[in-house]
Amino acid sequence: MRRADIQDEPATYERLVYKNTSVYHYMRISLVLENESTRLSAAQLKQLIVSGLRDLYGEVGGAFPFDLLKFDESTLTGVLRVYNSGLVKLWSALTLLGFYQNELCFFRVTQVSPFLLTLSGNSRELELD
Amino acid sequence: MVRLKSRYLLCEVCVSDRRNLSLLDDRAIYTATKAAVARAHGDYGAALSSLGFSVKYLNAHTGIVFLRCRKSHYRLIWSALPFITSLENRGQRVPCFLNCLHVGGTIRTCQKFLVRYNTQQLHRMLPLCQSEAERSEIRKSVLSCTLKKEADDEEEDE
Repeated sequence: MRRADIQDEPATYERLVYKNTSVYHYMRISLVLENESTRLSAAQLKQLIVSGLRDLYGEVGGAFPFDLLKFDESTLTGVLRVYNSGLVKLWSALTLLGFYQNELCFFRVTQVSPFLLTLSGNSRELELD
Repeated sequence: MVRLKSRYLLCEVCVSDRRNLSLLDDRAIYTATKAAVARAHGDYGAALSSLGFSVKYLNAHTGIVFLRCRKSHYRLIWSALPFITSLENRGQRVPCFLNCLHVGGTIRTCQKFLVRYNTQQLHRMLPLCQSEAERSEIRKSVLSCTLKKEADDEEEDE
């Protein structure tokens, strides 16, 4: 029951919309090699990606900063971080990279997201019990 | 109507020895620029810049060269110009560097700029001369590449 002398205040709320807060993009990648027993260290993987960038985009492209945040040597999966302007260059260089020390290889990109939290799970590996 | 726009880079070839300048030809500059763009910007840059790229004009006496490229990626070629260290011609390697003076949309605007630039150079260099003979020498060498004698310029085009 509403009393007649109490006036309803309009509900006040504030809505903040960010178009894109994240400066970086994060990619989860995995390297698949022809010879499955080859192991790489994190530094060798980064060197491989830099060489791929340098082949495709030259010295200027090879100098673009990106980071390898996590790397699991047993499964050869890792998380890369790159600035937004360099995402297309990095992804295209990963796509066109074909050889590691005369051995066929390719990169599989499983997840790409501007937020790191998204990479913590995906529906492919979801287990419903 | 869609118009294909291009940019003309007006560059000056600077060599330490003036005599080597007369050995230049446009194919040497073309290959040197393509190699520099391929080194600086990789396969992507080399392929993108080779579309519509040509050496339009080369003056062997003064070392002025016009490079023509597409408007959408003239910056790739422009940024690769400092990486050119030498020009190769018939087995001889001439160390040089390309100095970009002006970027214009048409050859005519580049030539207008060249006339103004040459008069400025003349005004700058004449007071520094010691003797009258040097002055007349400089005046002659600068006047030989201006737009005044338009017929001569067009004859020197290849």
